[in-house]
Amino acid sequence: MKRYLLLGAGVMVIALVIMAVIYHQSSNQVTLPQSALLNNSQENSQEELEQAQPEQIQPVNIDEAVSYSLQNDQLNVSFNNGEDWVAVPVEKDQLFVGEYNGNGQELIENSYVLMEDRTGFLYSEGTNWEAQQIVFLYSIDQGETWEKSVVSESFLMMRFRKVDFLNDEFGYAIISGDRTMSQEYSVVFLTHDGGKNWEETTYTEVTRLISDGGFVDESTGFLSFGTINPIEPTLYVTEDGGNTWNQASIHIPEKYYGVFVIAEPPVKEEEQLKVLINQGPNGDYAGGLVKGEFISSDNGKTWNFSEEVPPDEAEHE
Amino acid sequence: MKQNTSKTKKVIGWVLFLVANGFFCMQIGYLVFHERFQVDYVDNRLFYIINIVCLIILTLAILLILPSTRKLITIISSISVLLIIGHVVLLISSNNEIKNITSISPDWKHVLSIKENVESGEAVYYRSYYGILARPKEVLPDKKIGEFQVEWLADDVGAVTYKAANNTTQQFIATYGDRGSGISYYYVGAQTHGNWQGDNIELVSGPEGIMVTDNGETEMFQWDDIDQFGTLAIVLKKNGEAAWTIALQENFQVDTGTVEANEGNILLYKATMEKNEPIVLSKS
Repeated sequence: MKRYLLLGAGVMVIALVIMAVIYHQSSNQVTLPQSALLNNSQENSQEELEQAQPEQIQPVNIDEAVSYSLQNDQLNVSFNNGEDWVAVPVEKDQLFVGEYNGNGQELIENSYVLMEDRTGFLYSEGTNWEAQQIVFLYSIDQGETWEKSVVSESFLMMRFRKVDFLNDEFGYAIISGDRTMSQEYSVVFLTHDGGKNWEETTYTEVTRLISDGGFVDESTGFLSFGTINPIEPTLYVTEDGGNTWNQASIHIPEKYYGVFVIAEPPVKEEEQLKVLINQGPNGDYAGGLVKGEFISSDNGKTWNFSEEVPPDEAEHE
Repeated sequence: MKQNTSKTKKVIGWVLFLVANGFFCMQIGYLVFHERFQVDYVDNRLFYIINIVCLIILTLAILLILPSTRKLITIISSISVLLIIGHVVLLISSNNEIKNITSISPDWKHVLSIKENVESGEAVYYRSYYGILARPKEVLPDKKIGEFQVEWLADDVGAVTYKAANNTTQQFIATYGDRGSGISYYYVGAQTHGNWQGDNIELVSGPEGIMVTDNGETEMFQWDDIDQFGTLAIVLKKNGEAAWTIALQENFQVDTGTVEANEGNILLYKATMEKNEPIVLSKS
C-alpha cells in the first residue's frame, strides 16, 4: 500500500513539474481575442500584397523646395522633386510623441525645417514619458550626414512645437507641454550656431496655452497666448533675445474688441512691424475669417489697428 | 487512544490525498481546455499557485498516511520545498514576461483581468468566467507605457487608466452589467441627457455633446469624441486623450420605454494617473 501511495504521489509530482514547465513555455504570449486575430490575418495578407508590388514614394508636400514623405512608416526627404529619396534616421512614431491629435499622415505643422541647405526635425524622445528629451535632428548636406542636438534635457508631454531659422546661425524653437486643462508650460530656446547648441530663454511665467510665436531678428521675438475662447490677444515681446519678456500693448478699436483675439507671429515690413490678429476658432465677424492688421513702430511694444484684411489676402500675407 | 489518533491522521491524510488528486485533475483539465477553447486563468500566476497548493497538500497527505520517521519527513519535506521554490521561480519569470493585472470588484462578483506582454507593450483585456477562468475579449487601444491604474467606479464598472506610448492618458472601461432590462442596447450619453451637479462640478449633456465645468473651467466634448463601453460608461476625449469617464451608478435605472427622465446618480471620474475618487453627480 505504502509503495503504491508513494508511486502515485511520485507520478503526480513529476506530472505537476512537467505541466508547470510546459505551461511556462506556452504562456509567454498573450492570447489575442478572435477579432484581433482576424484583423491581424487581414493586415498580414494586405502587407503581403503591398510587399509584392514595390511602391513608389509620393511626397506629402509638393510646393516646398524639399519634399518629404511618411510612406511605409518611414520619413524620407527629397531634394530633387521626388526623384531620389533620403531616409531620415528617426522612427516615424517619434515625430508625433506628445500631445498630438492627427492621423500621422503629415508632419506636425512648424515642427520641421525644410530648406536645401538645412533640413531638421524637432521631436521628443526617451523611455521615461515624464522626462522626455527634446531633440533637433538636422542635416546641412542634403541628408548625407545627420546631427542630433539636445534642445531640452527634460520635458513633459510636448504639445506646441515650432522650429525655424532666420539665417545659417540663428534659429529658435518654441515648445510647450505639461498641459492640465487650459494651463501649460511654454518656453523658447535659441541657437546661435546653426542648431548645435540651444539655450533656454527666460520663462515668461504665462501659463495660458500658447498659440504661436516667432522671431523677426536675433533680438526681437514674440509669443502669442490663448487658444480657447480668448477675449483679447495676449502678445509677449522680447527685445533682448529672450532675457526679458513684456506684454505688448495692443490698442483694439472698440468695434473690434472681442472680435480679433489671437495674434499671429508678427513680421517685419520696412521700418515697421506688422501682425495679423485672427478671430480664433469661434469668430463669426464677417464670416469669421477676416483678420485685423495691426502696426507697431516701436519694435512690437505697442500696436495700433491698421485695417481689416480679407481672408484671401490674409492667406497670402 | 494512540490508535485512534493514528486512525484519524490516516483518514485526514487520505482526504488530503483525494483533494490533491482533485487539484491535479483540475490542472490537467485546464491544460487541455486552455488550448482547445482559448480559456485562461484570470491570472497566469494562478497555475503555479494551484500547483504549489497541490504539492503542499500532497506532502501533508503522505506525511500523515505513512509512518512518520525523521528520515522520511526530511526527504519528503526537502523535495517539496525544492519543488515549491522551483514553482516560485517559474511564477516570477512568467510574470516578468506576461504581466497580470487583476482586480476584484467591490462586491466580489467580477474579476477585471488584463494581461500585458511586457516586451511589446500590448495589453489584452480578459472577460472573466466562473471566477477564475477568463477569455481574451479586447486588445487595449494604444500600446502602454508605465503602470495601469484600476479603480472600480461601481460594482460592475472598472476603469483602467494608463499612459499610452504616444504619452497620452487613455482610459479603458470594463463593464459587467446593465441598468436596463438587459435585452436591449442603449446609449449612455442619451440616457444621461440633462444637467448634473456635484461638488464644484457641473455637467451638461445636450445635443451638441457633453460640457464639463470643473472649478469654473469649462470643456466641451463633441459626441464624436465620446466612446461608449458596454452600456454603463462613456469616456470623454480631447485631442485623442481621455479626459473624463462618466459611469452610471448602481441606483441609475434606465427605462428605454418612457420619455421621462431616468432616476439615479451618475459618476464622473477624471482620467489622470494620480489617485482620484469618482465624483457622484445628481440631476439638477
